[in-house]
Amino acid sequence: MRQPSVRARRVAAVSVSLFLAAGAAACGPKDNDAKGAGGGDSKPQKGGTLTVLNSNPQEDFDPARLYTSGGGNVPSLVFRTLTTRNRESGAAGAKVVPDLATDTGRPSENATVWTYTLKEGLKFEDGSPITSADIKYGIERSFAPELSGGAPYLRDWLIGAADYQGPYKDKGKGLDAIGTPDARTIVFHLNKPEGEFPYLATQTQFTPVPKAKDTGTKYEEHPVSSGPYKVVSNEGDGERLILERNTYWSAATDEERKAYPDRIDVRSGLDSSVINQRLSASQGADAASVTTDTNLGPAELAKVSGDKELAARVGTGHFGYINYIAFNPKVKPFDNIKVREAISYAIDRTSVVNAAGGSSLAEPATTYLPDQKSFGYTPYDHFPAGASGNPAKAKEVLKEAGYPNGLTVTLTHSNSKDFETSPEIATAVQDALKKAGITVKLDGLEDNDYRDTIHDAKKEPGFFLAHWGADWPSGGPFLAPIFDGRQIVKDGANFNNGFLDDKSVNAEIDAINKLTDLDAAAKRWGALDSRIGEQALTVPLFHPVYKRLYGKDVKNIVISDWTGVLDISQVSVK
Amino acid sequence: MSEVLLASPAAGTGATPVPAASGARQFWRRLRTRRAALVAAAVVALLVLVAVAAPLFTAVEGQDPTTYHPALVDSARGGVPVGSFGGISGDHWLGVEPQTGRDLFARLVYGARVSLGVALAATLVQVLIGVVVGIASALGGQWVDQLLSRLTDVIIALPLMIMSLALLAIVPGNFPRPVLVALVIGLIAWGGIAKIVRAQTLTLKQLDHVAAARLSGWGSWRIARRELLPGLAAPVITYAALLVPSNITVEAALSFLGVGVKPPTPSWGQMITAADVWYQAAPQYLLLPAGALFLTVLALTVLGDGIRTALDPRAASRLRVGTGRRREARVKDATGETATTATAAKTGAGA
Repeated sequence: MRQPSVRARRVAAVSVSLFLAAGAAACGPKDNDAKGAGGGDSKPQKGGTLTVLNSNPQEDFDPARLYTSGGGNVPSLVFRTLTTRNRESGAAGAKVVPDLATDTGRPSENATVWTYTLKEGLKFEDGSPITSADIKYGIERSFAPELSGGAPYLRDWLIGAADYQGPYKDKGKGLDAIGTPDARTIVFHLNKPEGEFPYLATQTQFTPVPKAKDTGTKYEEHPVSSGPYKVVSNEGDGERLILERNTYWSAATDEERKAYPDRIDVRSGLDSSVINQRLSASQGADAASVTTDTNLGPAELAKVSGDKELAARVGTGHFGYINYIAFNPKVKPFDNIKVREAISYAIDRTSVVNAAGGSSLAEPATTYLPDQKSFGYTPYDHFPAGASGNPAKAKEVLKEAGYPNGLTVTLTHSNSKDFETSPEIATAVQDALKKAGITVKLDGLEDNDYRDTIHDAKKEPGFFLAHWGADWPSGGPFLAPIFDGRQIVKDGANFNNGFLDDKSVNAEIDAINKLTDLDAAAKRWGALDSRIGEQALTVPLFHPVYKRLYGKDVKNIVISDWTGVLDISQVSVK
Repeated sequence: MSEVLLASPAAGTGATPVPAASGARQFWRRLRTRRAALVAAAVVALLVLVAVAAPLFTAVEGQDPTTYHPALVDSARGGVPVGSFGGISGDHWLGVEPQTGRDLFARLVYGARVSLGVALAATLVQVLIGVVVGIASALGGQWVDQLLSRLTDVIIALPLMIMSLALLAIVPGNFPRPVLVALVIGLIAWGGIAKIVRAQTLTLKQLDHVAAARLSGWGSWRIARRELLPGLAAPVITYAALLVPSNITVEAALSFLGVGVKPPTPSWGQMITAADVWYQAAPQYLLLPAGALFLTVLALTVLGDGIRTALDPRAASRLRVGTGRRREARVKDATGETATTATAAKTGAGA
């Protein structure tokens, strides 16, 4: 409930077809130390059926069409990729590790050529071997217009991919940018340096697809598994998905997936309150249930936290995400940096956090980047507002700006009930600014209207609530779409809301993209974030925290900082 | 409800020739016999007082409806109010709102302003349009009548909620919201009253005093004002009294759906939406606005019904709440009421 539906976010991201799908990542696995929650201390055992209770169906269950962060949660049970997320709790889970490949990729000197070698003994669910040609074919078919839905990176990065229409046209013409010198080697040629290519290789488009079994748009009904489970039934376009063991999968080639249950039963289309009610009651089959898309809301948390048994069955996770106030400096009075600073000083993050669900569901933020190491988090607070705002300082700055008697502004927000850009947050901002002499009028828009308005360079309001999430845990997909001047889109979906076009910022983004040492890159993303922050183009408000219930019999809870959600591949129900 | 409403056209028709003063006296005498109506009237009076004097009440409490009190909610537990019964204290008489800590009493009394204000304004708009259209179509020529009657049919056929949602979504955000909501409800739901007024006017037209006025050369406008309006008062008042609670529910529903008044202006419907997920963790948050809404609608409905019966005892209510039938009968005898029951059939023709 707190989190906008994965699907809605994905649709939004795809429709704008820019870098980041603000929340496509919600389907990833993570592992949080559950502290012996639920089922006791015995070691996880194989067997049993794990039920997944979700709001959103596993729509278009085709590796070409899924938009995931790190390969997704349920999809990752069926689809293996070149690299994948490290299936560990916390910060360690934000690392990229090899999956089908023997390493996370060998870059050329300037990071424009990436080479991977496949492990030995990899097999599809029918026992046939997985080759590099299957991976190449899987990527190629994701370019077919009828199989759209994935992230736009491959089209942007691969040489000659901009107008490629997939293997179904032009007599099966392939992509020359992907070379397969032998059955176990695959080489990618990029049109620019991309040190973060290993992160991209976690997405389901890097799943092997056997050409002989490709049924085009019908492939989603029974995709050929390379992972520990295969699809035995897919009803209503992923509404009810039943997975059973793929006997040709070998744990010896897969260090990441534990695959304890014999059967996975994914039931979707449920109301979020029903999911939480069923998980808290934990009766019958629901005792062996988890959810991968439904968070506890504030009211549910209030109830759960008062009950020890329930509180022990809550998994807590962090996903790289920021909720913030965005300014459009083309609109008066926000062209005046002093006005933007005054608002930054006046903001009361305690009220905002409470409106978002309280300190257990949101953490106050003063930086644009999430407070995680993999993003290169560098603490800064250029316009310190304290815990509850500094109206005195704000008034002072406002005076310098030429508004000694205060001013009146309009805050645009959405009317959705997501506790992110919703009226609750807007009124908390309004109340805080009132103390600094700034009268805020609220302009609430319907969800679609809101998205269209804030991403249209011509209609963009001056002062509005916004949010952003990353496709992988790094500063790149977090900062580039929002602050790279070359990504300002005049006609179409624009994410550079501050219209920042600073040559030195653009150059630094290019320089960091060349780095293949991800730790070094992270540090520079953090420094860049702090530098951009000085321009007060945004007021960071809070980073969300995900809290999700799981059933009584569920063991081995792993929640990484990559997705903030428990990783199904690690869960045991015996 | 519609059945009750449709019964009312018959209401005023018979009573028309009664002089205004004695009509009012009779009305009060009859209304007094209905204890439920009196209690309801008292409740309504109290609510109006609360709404009008909202700033006074909150000043006494020392709170206002929009100030946040982050210290009064438990942030780590989703923002549930600190303390028992939703944080009730000497400072916050009905506790505070979860997550924000805003004072619930202040929000409730200010919410009454919106609920009652919007409902009354909408009713006024409905009555104005309904009476004008009704009289015009009854007095106008065949074409005018046909046109206006069909228009009225169309308006009645419009689904109120869907039309309101559509209209409220397209109007620019800077239009004052409560006025807009009142206008939208008023402009969509005047069909019933127009029909009743037309039917009543057609009946009145046949009466001698109207015919006399016409013969003496009065214009339509003067006839309508001097001879027809007094006769229309009873059914219109009755119908309006029953429209108010229905308008309150519509306003609450629109606010519940998020197209009513804008935050931070409190409205009961909006409070109920925000509170629905809190019914287990902070029950009073939901119960207070829901209870206030229930009480208001019930009081207004009972009062409206009382007014209807008092204006036309023949169409006695099916509700029979606290009617004190026997007493009423006695009063009737005492006042020498001899209702001209025969007119009922005649008036039915117009409807």
